[in-house]
Amino acid sequence: MTGATNGRLREISRRTALGALGAGILGATVASWPRLSGSDIPGRGDNSLSIAIMGTAADAAARQRAIDAFTRLHPDIRVKVQAIQAVDWKDFFTKILTMVAAGTPPDVVYVATEGAQLFADKLAHPLDEYLRRDAADMAEFFDDVHPSLVEAFMYKGSLFQLPMDWNAANMYYNTTAFSQAGLERPADDWTHLDFRSNLAAMRKARPSDFTPYYWTNRLFGGVVPWLYANDTSFLKETRSTGGDWLWDSFYAKDPSRSLRSGGYQWLEPNADDPRVFETFDYLRGLVKDGLGVRPEEGGGSSLVGLFASNRIGTTPAGGYWVQGLHEAGMKENDYDVAFFPKWRSQRHQFGTAGYAIMKTAKDKDAAWEWIKFSASREAMELIFPNPITTPARRSMVNEALYAGKGPAHWKVFYDTLDKYPTTGPIPAPPQQAAVETALMKNVSLAVSGDERQLKQALESMQRDLELALRRQS
Amino acid sequence: MSTTTPRRERANQRANTPGTPGAQPGHTASGRHSQRWLAWIFLAPTILGMGLFTLVPIVASVVLAFFRWDIISAPTFVGFDNFAEVVQDPTVRVSFLNTIVFVIVAVSLQLGLALALAVMVQEKMPAWLRAFFRSAFFFPLILSAASVSIFMRYLFNEQFGVVNWFLSLAGIPAVPWLTTPGGSAAVVILVYVWQNFGFSFLLFIGGLASIPAETYEAASLDGATGWRKHVYVTLPLLSPTTLLASVMAIISALQVFDQPYVLTRGGPGDSTRTAVMVIFESAFQRLEFGQASAIGVILTLIIMAITAAQFRLSKRFVFYQ
Repeated sequence: MTGATNGRLREISRRTALGALGAGILGATVASWPRLSGSDIPGRGDNSLSIAIMGTAADAAARQRAIDAFTRLHPDIRVKVQAIQAVDWKDFFTKILTMVAAGTPPDVVYVATEGAQLFADKLAHPLDEYLRRDAADMAEFFDDVHPSLVEAFMYKGSLFQLPMDWNAANMYYNTTAFSQAGLERPADDWTHLDFRSNLAAMRKARPSDFTPYYWTNRLFGGVVPWLYANDTSFLKETRSTGGDWLWDSFYAKDPSRSLRSGGYQWLEPNADDPRVFETFDYLRGLVKDGLGVRPEEGGGSSLVGLFASNRIGTTPAGGYWVQGLHEAGMKENDYDVAFFPKWRSQRHQFGTAGYAIMKTAKDKDAAWEWIKFSASREAMELIFPNPITTPARRSMVNEALYAGKGPAHWKVFYDTLDKYPTTGPIPAPPQQAAVETALMKNVSLAVSGDERQLKQALESMQRDLELALRRQS
Repeated sequence: MSTTTPRRERANQRANTPGTPGAQPGHTASGRHSQRWLAWIFLAPTILGMGLFTLVPIVASVVLAFFRWDIISAPTFVGFDNFAEVVQDPTVRVSFLNTIVFVIVAVSLQLGLALALAVMVQEKMPAWLRAFFRSAFFFPLILSAASVSIFMRYLFNEQFGVVNWFLSLAGIPAVPWLTTPGGSAAVVILVYVWQNFGFSFLLFIGGLASIPAETYEAASLDGATGWRKHVYVTLPLLSPTTLLASVMAIISALQVFDQPYVLTRGGPGDSTRTAVMVIFESAFQRLEFGQASAIGVILTLIIMAITAAQFRLSKRFVFYQ
């Protein structure tokens, strides 16, 4: 038997084997050509409206119900959602830019505040003409959405996105940790000093395996809410002119009409402001006294488990945390949310997201129809059935959304805008990536050492920000 | 003494015997011609692949170093401006300095550990245990550096990490591993060495196996004992392997990215920012592809210079049997 097998094997020469291997490689190449050439990317090569979102294939599938509803309204427009996995928004924008460079950009992109001005400056098509045309249809949307969210998407007088969801940096607290320390729910206007004394009480009650204040080093929810509360920022904030066409059309009767502008501008660094020093020094004190951690890089998602296991007392986060805490086993009374502590002001930080039409979109009218539909109550209820974020529509932030999940004071989420209309967006100029790197790289040093190290870190931040803003300007 | 016919001789015999299945028509002009074509056909995929995915990007990168390009707008020729800017950029300078320090410390540790373990495993150990250690030490190398680094982030977390928990059992206070310059650099080096020493280890195992037993026997007859045998026999005869291992380890360490990027994002401050991280940040975060290419060109030149220096110095320190 062995001999026979060997005989057959001997008949296959090396050349035949190599030829077979070559044919195999060729066959595999032909079979995988759609993947190699990228022609299997949704929307590529046909007339579909290609929409890029940050997320997984499951996130794309979750939008299918909205796509089906849209298709019923517009059977002539085919929509394909492309989910792009990314570590954070910065990573997502990089991938979109790579698609642009490759000549295969999507038609519509879901963009957060972090990238709003980058897209507005270089990639996106303004929505002004469509909004003027469909003003009657859009009035109901703007009535339901706070103007601060809209203003965050204004750039030099034009509107580039409609806010779909948003989150403010509110303060989550563990009710068990609070009650163990004999603390009650903080007042709406609690101050940074009240906050500190609460942390000290929690530390005293639980001296080990517990962190009174956990925060991460990033643009949202890191040092910036503290800077805003102290009526300052690491970039000088100004506003551009223009935009009256929108405010006069849709927010003419809004009490905050006079505050509105053609969009935010961050043109100069401000890390040498004494209030910035004061804010960092406060945080340095929390770290030094064991009340808060030295902030690590990364998002807050990894904290859900730690918070749910009662090992964290407080942490800043938005409405996006609710579903995660619920899934981690927290009951609605196990935690709660409060406004961010007050300092010189009680201005909060928020971030929002919405669809932008790319300049290169094949059919901009179809893209606008998708955006308009997505802004409807029907679509937003399909896309946000759970509290995975805070819907931009005020009417959707209701009892039903948080029923059985908490927090008890869920009204805090939208009240952050309604009660504090000066609440501002994440400072994100078109050079956001460089600005964020400059901020993050100096924050840890600033709050981890002595006063001299803090001064050096802020000087370094000022230099880095100057360089970041000068680049690509 | 071998009784087998040398391969070339056998091939010639087959080629010169008409009707033999293995006979090659390579001795005629047309046969040589067709063989040459065949060779080119087999080489074509490799040449094409190398050209397309290695040579073209290298040339494009060098060319791009003289342009300002943000992907979106058209590239603008700026001459040597990118080089001038990156040389003046303190972050770039610090990142190169970090990389050099990293290479010195990490490669020393990596080679030292690999050599020590290879000698230990090769000596006085049952074959099955030797096989186990070979696999165990090589195992980290096949893991994704990113996932290992994510895992290590949890391990070294100051508040809730397992490492600090173990230290607390010994009464040692929590160490801020990832949030202080010294701590984060130590963790990055530790994780990198743990993940990469397995490759050098395998090279040393191979090198040790190739040292003839007679040499050790001769050394023993001359009175050399354990430690002296290693110093006067093992190390000199292992020098070709050491050269190879050090060249590969240095090139790899000069390109370190995954571990510092995932563990610390280069922080705190710039304390763990490396040259390749700066290339990545320039290109894919700040969209300064020209500057990124300029840094890449500088790094390539440094790697080439170090490797050339190693080979030049090797003439003095490498001994072949």
